[in-house]
Amino acid sequence: MSKRTSEAARARIAAQRETLRKQEQRKRITMIVTIAVIAVIAVAFTVWSVRQGSAEEASGNAAPVTVEKDGTVVMANSGVTKPVVDVFEDFQCPACKQFEETSGSTLKNLAAEGKAKVVYHPITIFTEEPTKGNSLRAASAARCITDGRQWLAFHDALYKNQPSETVSGFSADELIKWGKQAGVTAEDFDNCVRQQRNVAAHQQFSAQTMSAQKLSGTPTVKLDGKELDTNVAFAPSSLRDAVEKAGK
Amino acid sequence: MVQLASGASVSERLQPAKPVLSWVTTAARVVLAAVLIVAGALKIGAPALSVQAVRAYQLLPDSVAQVVGYGLPVLEIITGLLLLVGLFTRAVAIVGGVLMVAFVIGIASAWARGLRIDCGCFGGDGTLAAGQDPNYFWELMRDLGLLVCAAWIVVRPAGRLSLDSALGFTGERETADEDDSDGGEDDGA
Repeated sequence: MSKRTSEAARARIAAQRETLRKQEQRKRITMIVTIAVIAVIAVAFTVWSVRQGSAEEASGNAAPVTVEKDGTVVMANSGVTKPVVDVFEDFQCPACKQFEETSGSTLKNLAAEGKAKVVYHPITIFTEEPTKGNSLRAASAARCITDGRQWLAFHDALYKNQPSETVSGFSADELIKWGKQAGVTAEDFDNCVRQQRNVAAHQQFSAQTMSAQKLSGTPTVKLDGKELDTNVAFAPSSLRDAVEKAGK
Repeated sequence: MVQLASGASVSERLQPAKPVLSWVTTAARVVLAAVLIVAGALKIGAPALSVQAVRAYQLLPDSVAQVVGYGLPVLEIITGLLLLVGLFTRAVAIVGGVLMVAFVIGIASAWARGLRIDCGCFGGDGTLAAGQDPNYFWELMRDLGLLVCAAWIVVRPAGRLSLDSALGFTGERETADEDDSDGGEDDGA
């Protein structure tokens, strides 16, 4: 009798063990599948995000660039008057450098495609040294350039070589060197940069622009006068969509 | 087995506070998850901006700032979603807590170094608008509050309405508890 009982007990234990084992196995499979699903979702988010952040390839075509008397610079194919993309930027501001790296090529492409008139407004937002001096020297030097294409090349060089916000940079020697590399042929460029001839004009333009446009910081990008959300301005594909939509 | 389980459920009934506390865990999950998801969603569409916000702290070398700028929004959203549905709750709450500690360190250090930045927590490039002052104190209070939520979840994980218990991912003891006393209740709630 005791033998029968222990046999039955053993069978019951074996059955329980089997059930437990199956449960464990099912749990493990569920866990693996769950982790795989999470991983796929994470990868999908990452891929989408990276694409949102990647800059457009420069098409190689370039729209004509004109340096205006008031200190603004217009990039547009002839006859293209809208939509207008206004870029308010400071050569010393790190976020402006980031904007240039991310969305600069999109603006150039849009202008070259005749889909936008891009207007650059270089201003100085900084009020303390060394950033204020850096910004003023750079902007003043840019004003020494009269040819649009050369101005744009210099503009790009300034961002490429932007100094840290904690050091004095954009020295006259550097500015002249980058100007030469950008192909600047303006008469008396060296002296113009060294003597910072355009600081006063630039400061006046800067103050005027900031109050007239009610700017709270740089970069500020406006599309037909309306400020673009930074989430749009800093995402090339979103920026392109917004500008193309405004052009329709 | 059977006797053990019924014993457990009896002792369960002797502690009336426990069901309430597991709802507290659920509430903590929802709060932490909501903040993380919103914060991530506001940043993920413009990672270049997010990178800039990280750089504004002037703490990390540029290559690391790039990775954090791109990776953080994704991590926040995934962490938030997992907390919301209660999946791998304890591990995910640890991740959430570590994030909050990192944010607290970042903000406190920016404050201590006298930087004038926006925390960039919910998008933006980390710069303050003209005339705006840093808001370090409240940013720190918020993140410390969220850290408390994360800690609570780590100590008393899963809570009600969690996939962990639905899928049987919780530890042995908790599984037995759920199965015996409130497995069915959960589905109805």
